[in-house]
Parts: sequence; C-alpha cells; structure tokens
Amino acid sequence: MGAVITISLNAMTLISILMLVGLGLAIIYGLMGVINLSHGDFVTIGAFCLAIIQGLGGSFWLALLIAPLIGALLGFLTEQAIIRFLYARPLATIMATWGLSLIIQQSLQLIFGAAPQKVFSPLTTSINLLGVNYPSYRVVMVALSIAIIVMAFVIIRKTKFGLDLRTIIQDRDMAEALGIDTKFVYSIAFSLGTALAAIAGVLLAPLTAVIAQMGINYLAKSFFVVIVGGAGSVPGVVAGSLFVGGTETLLNYIVPTTLSQALVLVFAIILVRVRPSGLVRT
Amino acid sequence: MGRISISHTPLPKMSYLVILLVIAFVYSAPLIVGTYSASLLRDAMLFSMIALGLDYLWGKTGTLSFGHATFFGAGAYGAAIVSTKLGLDPTLGSWLGLISGVSIAMLIALVVGYFLIFGGVRGSYFTIVTLALAVISEHVIVGWSDITGGDAGLLGIPPLFFPTLSGLAPLSPVVLYWFIASVVCLTALSLWWVCSGRYGLILKTIEDNEERAQALGHNTSQHLLTVFVGSSAVAALGGALYASTVGFVAKDIVGLILSTQVIIWVAIGGRGTLIGPVIAAIFVIWFEQRISSINVQLWPLFMGFLFILAVFVFPNGVLRTLVGILRKLGQRLEHRV
Repeated sequence: MGAVITISLNAMTLISILMLVGLGLAIIYGLMGVINLSHGDFVTIGAFCLAIIQGLGGSFWLALLIAPLIGALLGFLTEQAIIRFLYARPLATIMATWGLSLIIQQSLQLIFGAAPQKVFSPLTTSINLLGVNYPSYRVVMVALSIAIIVMAFVIIRKTKFGLDLRTIIQDRDMAEALGIDTKFVYSIAFSLGTALAAIAGVLLAPLTAVIAQMGINYLAKSFFVVIVGGAGSVPGVVAGSLFVGGTETLLNYIVPTTLSQALVLVFAIILVRVRPSGLVRT
Repeated sequence: MGRISISHTPLPKMSYLVILLVIAFVYSAPLIVGTYSASLLRDAMLFSMIALGLDYLWGKTGTLSFGHATFFGAGAYGAAIVSTKLGLDPTLGSWLGLISGVSIAMLIALVVGYFLIFGGVRGSYFTIVTLALAVISEHVIVGWSDITGGDAGLLGIPPLFFPTLSGLAPLSPVVLYWFIASVVCLTALSLWWVCSGRYGLILKTIEDNEERAQALGHNTSQHLLTVFVGSSAVAALGGALYASTVGFVAKDIVGLILSTQVIIWVAIGGRGTLIGPVIAAIFVIWFEQRISSINVQLWPLFMGFLFILAVFVFPNGVLRTLVGILRKLGQRLEHRV
C-alpha cells in the first residue's frame, strides 16, 4: 500500500510540472497555432532566476514572485521581436524559436558556466501522508501547481480576457470583426504562457540539476502533453499530463529510464493514431 | 513557407554549368587540397546525405522533420553493431552492416511514419513528434550502453572491402573518397531525376493542398510515407557509410543538435533544390570547424543566429535570395538606361 502511495505522489510531482509547462504551450499553440520551441528555455530561465535570487540572499518565495514577471517580460519581447512577424509561416516559427532556444541556452552557459547552479529547497522537512513519509516541498509544489491550473481555468472560463481568448481560438477573423484586439490578446497570452513556464522552472529547480540545457527534456514531454491531450484547453492539458506523467513514472519502476521514455513516445504515437484530435476534444 | 517552386521548371543554363563545376571540383579535390582536407570534405559529404534526405522530404512535400539525424544515427549504429558485435568476417560484415543499418533505419521510419502519417499527423505536429524522436534516440544511445557503447561509442568498425586484383581489400583513401563522392552525386541525381517529372508534381500538389490531391485520386498518405521512408534511407546510407569510413561512432551523430543543423543546411542551401543543401552542408561544416577551433561553445550560438537569419533574411535559401537581389539590380539598371 505504501509503495502505491509513493508512486502516485511521485507521479503527481511530474504531472504537476508537466501541467504548468504544457498549459503555456497549449495556450500558445491552441490560440495562435504557434509552436514555441523556446518554451523549455523559459523553464530554464525560471530556474536560473531562483539560483540568482537565492545567490543574492533572497528567498525562494521572492523568486516565485519575480521569476514569472521576468518570464512574462522576456516572452513579451520575444513575441514582439520575432513571433508576430511569422504568424502566417508556422514552420518558420518553429525554426526561429529553435534558433532563439539555442541562443538562450548557449548564452546562459557562457555567462554562468556548465556546472549546475546552486538552489535550495525552501522546505526540508517531510510530512506523513496516509502512512508514508514524503518530502513536504513536493507536496507544496503539487498543491501550488494545482492552484495555478485552477486559476488559469477560471481566467479562461470566467473573465472577459478568457472570453476573448476562446473566441479567437474558435475563429480569429470573426473575433477581429467583433472588435477584439487580437494582436493585444496574442502578446498577452504569449507572455502568460512564458510566465507559467518560468513558475514551473522555479518549482522544479530544487528537484533537479539547474543547467542551461534543462529545458529540452520538458519541452519534448510537454509537447506530448499537448498532442495527447488536445491543444487549446485546460482539461486537455490535465488529461495529457496525467497520461504522459503517469505512464512515465509507472514505467520507471518497471524498466530503465531510457526505455520508459522511449515507451512513452511509442504510446503517444499509437494514441495519436487512435485519437488524432487528442484525449479531450475541444 | 515561400511558394516558389523550381522543381518542375527547366533549370536555367547557368545552373548546369554550376553543377558541372561543383562535380568537377569535388572529384579533383583530393589532388588539389591534399588528402587531409579531402578527408574532411569526404566526411562533410557523408553528413550532407542527411540534408539530401531531408530535402527530399521537406523540400518536395513541405513536411519538416526535426529528427533526421536519428536515421543517420540508426544507419551508423546499425552498421557498427552488426559489423563488430556479431563476430562476422570483416570482409562480409562491413557490407552486411551497411545493409542492416539502412534497413533498421527504414524500419523505424516505416513504423513511426505509418502511425503518424496514417493517423493524420501533419505540419507542425509531425515536426514536433520527430523532434521527440531525436531526443529519445539520444537517450537510447546513451542509456543502452552494453549494445551502443553509451557515451564512449563504438570503435573498430571494419572498412568496406572491395574485390581487387589481389583479393578483397579496403580502398585507398583517395579511391574511397571518389567512391563516396560518387554515392552522394548518384543519390542526388537520382532524387532529382525521380522528382523532376510527374511524381515531383504530385508531391508538390500534396504540399500545396492535400485534400485536392486526394480528390484527384492520389493516396496522399501512402505517398508521404514512401517519401519519409525513402528520405530516411538516404540519411541512413550516409550514416552507414560514415561508420565504415571513419571506423567509430559516437553519440553526437544522433540527436537534436545534428538534426537541427541539417535543417539549417537545407534552409540556407535552398529548400527543394537538392544540390543547394549539399553545398550548404559542406560550407556550414567547414565554417563550424573554423568557429569551434576558437571556442567550442560559440558554434551553437552561431547556429541560433543562423536559424533566425534563415527565417527572416533568406526564406528561400542564400542562393535564390542573392539571385533575386541581382535580378532586381539588373532591372533597375535597365530602367536607367
């Protein structure tokens, strides 16, 4: 029984990170049809923000506030400088954002070096959950991620901005005809997506090695989240994260990590064949 | 992407001259630049096979693969494993390795391609899944170290043996160079020949409007799958030849960095021209070695800028952009006169 609980808690840790990274990606893809290959690097930027702020003596919670602001600002600049010229050229966007990704990774490595950055977890205790001792930081992280996802869901479902967003996802031309400032919504949505990635980076940092290339693994996985779940909706992202994160964590207990990652890919590809529009249809 | 197509228009006379000059240079290179530089050129030509394969896929059907190095790597590792781990006689093992390497890569492409293409995965989605394929293949090569040698790679791959007057023997460096140059040229010419007629037009139709191509009675999924498997076979042939030529394989010949570098070669060389990506591959590899000799970390940074340049400044390749500028200048001059 204890093992089952530990496995589910471990799965929840991965799932909650994937939800945060995948949500940003799904909004950007579902809304603008833009595949942002530099999305993973905004996770890295979030993690580096934590390292810098803690290095200067700031606390984890301060970083959790500042990192999304920096992520949003850099995301806004990216949208203004590169993405907005390429909305009609999807493959060109993929190439340009990949170029940007290489530039961010390599600049971080040139400035900070190749060694992992030092970050500290804000909570070092563990708590007893259903008879299992589990690090309390991970529990807090899962709770925070769920809170953020719920918040995003409420914003998309209940606010004026969310309504505009959903209108554009359904029919961009019609939205424009109705007087929605699509360009403004695009740049705000893009910045929100990158801010979410930066939050994921801060939350993730104490659990992993903070290096310039850390984003790439989450990039590939969170794309599977979006593909498997269906782009452009919060429930789709949740379903996709449950599938990708759950399968990978479970498989990790049975087969070596390498094989489990390859198997997740195989499952995802088969799933795409069976349900081309994703688990949750929008 | 740009809607310019030169695949079905007759080539201008100048380009025949350029192609002839390039081929003449490639064949005479070992005599001009010396054996060492020729061996660098030889390796660059083997890598350019990935560009050829990718251009067959991306240039002709508009489907971009972000994981084409996977097939180069599958070809190389397949060849390496079969020729070193099975205890075969090297004279036979090297050829068997070549065949198995290409077959393994084609099999991977067939399985992945079947599920994706017949599952209706197109455009950006396809690109993303192939990107994941590149990430995973890198993990597999590093993690499955009893077979692939992990980080250390595999050494001691036998060269290809050819019948000579004194029995079976490997080729001398210069002849091996000519052999590889011929394989690359023949592959490029056959792809060009295959795509120059009706078949090329069918692929172009699929790129422009797949539904319409279906309405005209073409099984577009089958066409795309054939191109995908064919293009991986070209890349794998390059990989398998690379393994037997260089004698070792390491993990840097699979994975994302090489895969995306290939995209740069094709984009800069001019998508759909076949010869352009090969030339660009050779130039960019030469440039990479220059930059990396200053600082290894500078190259990925350069590559990042190249991507953004390729998108904004040379959307149709360097050559076509230059020709376009020259033509405009010419018109302006004519205007004045």
